[in-house]
Amino acid sequence: MPDQAFDGTFEPTGAAPENSGAAPAVQVEGVWKRFGQQIAVNGIDLVLPAGKFIGLVGPNGAGKTTTLSMITGLLRPDSGRIRVAGHDVWRDPESVARVKARIGILPEGLRLFERLSGRELLAYSGRLRGLPGAEVDKRATQLLDVLDLAGSQHKLVVDYSTGMRKKIGLAAALLHNPDVLFLDEPFEGVDPVSAQTIRGVLERYTSSGATVVFSSHVMELVESLCDWVAVMAGGRIRAQGPLAEVKGSAATLQEAFLELVGAHDRAAAGDSLDWLGGARGDRS
Amino acid sequence: MSAPATAGAPTAAAEPSLTPVFVRLKLSLLRNGLRQSSGRTAAFVASLVVVLLIAAFMVLGFLLLRGHGAAGAVAVLTTGVFGLGWAVMPLFLPSGDETLDPSRLVMLPLRPQPLVRALLVASLVGTGPLFTLCLAVGAVAAVAHGTAATVTAVLAVPLVLMVCVALSRAIATANVRLLSSRKGRDMALLSGLLIALGIQAVNFGAQALGRTGDLSVLDTAASVVGWLPPASAVAAVDSAADGDLVLAGARLLLAVVALAALLWWWRRSLVRLMVEPDGSTIGAAPDTVKDPAAGRGLLARLLPGGRTGAVMERCFRYIWRDPKTKAAWVSALAVGALVPLFNAFQENGSVYWACFASGMLGLQMFNQFGQDSSAFWMVAQTIASPADAYAELRDRAYVMAAVTVPFTVLVAVGTAAVAGGWSQLPEVFGLAFALLGAMLALGVVVSVRYPYSIPQDSHRNVAPGQGGMAIAAIFGGMFAGPLLCGPLIGLLVWLRVSGHHGLLWLLLPLGVAYGALLLWGALRLMSGRMARRLPEILAAVSKG
Repeated sequence: MPDQAFDGTFEPTGAAPENSGAAPAVQVEGVWKRFGQQIAVNGIDLVLPAGKFIGLVGPNGAGKTTTLSMITGLLRPDSGRIRVAGHDVWRDPESVARVKARIGILPEGLRLFERLSGRELLAYSGRLRGLPGAEVDKRATQLLDVLDLAGSQHKLVVDYSTGMRKKIGLAAALLHNPDVLFLDEPFEGVDPVSAQTIRGVLERYTSSGATVVFSSHVMELVESLCDWVAVMAGGRIRAQGPLAEVKGSAATLQEAFLELVGAHDRAAAGDSLDWLGGARGDRS
Repeated sequence: MSAPATAGAPTAAAEPSLTPVFVRLKLSLLRNGLRQSSGRTAAFVASLVVVLLIAAFMVLGFLLLRGHGAAGAVAVLTTGVFGLGWAVMPLFLPSGDETLDPSRLVMLPLRPQPLVRALLVASLVGTGPLFTLCLAVGAVAAVAHGTAATVTAVLAVPLVLMVCVALSRAIATANVRLLSSRKGRDMALLSGLLIALGIQAVNFGAQALGRTGDLSVLDTAASVVGWLPPASAVAAVDSAADGDLVLAGARLLLAVVALAALLWWWRRSLVRLMVEPDGSTIGAAPDTVKDPAAGRGLLARLLPGGRTGAVMERCFRYIWRDPKTKAAWVSALAVGALVPLFNAFQENGSVYWACFASGMLGLQMFNQFGQDSSAFWMVAQTIASPADAYAELRDRAYVMAAVTVPFTVLVAVGTAAVAGGWSQLPEVFGLAFALLGAMLALGVVVSVRYPYSIPQDSHRNVAPGQGGMAIAAIFGGMFAGPLLCGPLIGLLVWLRVSGHHGLLWLLLPLGVAYGALLLWGALRLMSGRMARRLPEILAAVSKG
């Protein structure tokens, strides 16, 4: 858990809601990221409370992956400040070291060392983080068991299916018992059985007081899993807060989301296709 | 499965018509292909003319050779080379012929026996088989003397042709399955390299033969190749001409047996392909537990514990398991050994060439993180301070040194054994290790300053837009490495010129110390920069 109290330098602005007291797991302040002409992240402010199951939702291209990459230290922001567990991600090496020791990541679109077997990957990853060898092997065995990978532990990761890859990536991210876990699209392309396994492990992990931040565009999933939601679209945060608050009066998160990103108008544009599904005449 | 059973009778009755169907299909595909563009037609006609001209010269050459003492050996060896060519061709041109692509025939109710027969006949149509037919006719014409030999020759010509074609087809069909699995794709990446190295070895052999000018080597080679189909059929004609009918019969029989075996293998692969079309899962499945202690194998027990052991273990595994890393190492090891040894065989050979080996392998340190590709994030996540970066770079340099040092010693000793100069070994080792240190140091600098991506899914080794940087980094390193060793080379020259030969051994400890110093300096210089540049390095190696 964060060992440093909220130092007061951060003031929630704009859409960022008031903090409930405990030090937040993640604070993002005025962060920008530009790729050439395109602005991927447009000056966002975000406060994610500790000990919650948090969903970062948004359509494709909303900037979710860019945001998570900047929070986890994989991508340098153009400007702004990011603190994870009370430590600045981009300031001095000591602060960066504290952040890296406290987080676990499952990135999207980046490879693993796929020419290692599942077990070897965990052994490598744990030792790289400085854990004692015997402890790494013990934890690896348990994680492989729980994630239903024990039967394929000696197979190379390159031969794994999508679901198995996500699970071994999750195991590598959990191995050092991080405070905050960042998962980019952990359920994308995953079969229902593996998804259930992942879900079980994550629920057990958050019940211990740890924080999970995951991105997704499947609203039903986010609604059923998360107690805190941040909605992103076009590089901006459209809403953030407890699930009930973001949902407001809408019946489902899906509806609230469509309303927030302004996609309801686009759905109505389907009216112009009035010929589609109409009477089909003789085309000869 | 009831459909094929009921369709069995009519298909069986229609058997004789299947072969002409495939031959016609092949001819119309050829015709339609040519109709698509006039450039293609011109290329086809030109290649046909060239092939026919070469074939004519070849037949003429064989006829002129008739009666010469080496005729038999030349005919047998040429046939052997053709057989090898047919075997290797499908690896380079896997989809050369649409009629032979079994995946296109999966939906048709075809029975394997008539299908193989039809495909065999259809694949006899084309310039390649025509060229081979000319070769076979020429080869037997060069050696056939007497009635028995002529009769054998009449049997040998179609046998040579059919064995060549069946060999090529069987390998191609087996290859379709192989290429659709991950292991097959890995092997395909390596096969080109191995073939290039094989050609180089043959080249060295031919040059050695050219220097000695001794044709008895040809006879020795022919006596071996003469027992390998399809060359055994030509050797049978030679034996029949010599009056040894038993030997002739045995060699001819060998070719027939080989043809039958190839057809059986082809048919088996075809059938399996047709009923198990998805090769990707088949290839991946049998990969389960081979080594239950793989997590903590022999390698792990030899290496130190903690981070150093983990980094080294992964690097060693990647040298063996990652096709691109493996290809780079295999070629560096082969070139690093062949160049000094080949030079040693020349009159002006020198044991100093052993330094080439350490330089070649030292080059593997360049672009360390590009070899990781985007998996570098796993490394980046565990590096927070310059000390972590220092450890990561140092451990990778250890891996390079662990392979290069013994390899350089081996190459130097081998070169000394051929070219002499045992007494020079200490100074050679000194220079070689200093050069290794310099290359590793440069590798550290280049890996951190100029990382570039090695795309994992294509045959290219550089992502678009990074080629210039990659070439500049590698060539710059090749020049800068020896340059960095300048002081040591200067000392060596001075000791030699001034006649202080008794002090030359000093170069060994000095070289080791100098190399280590260079590496240490580079690590100190670059570790801070690496720790600060992690996101930039990750972005550079994730392209492509």
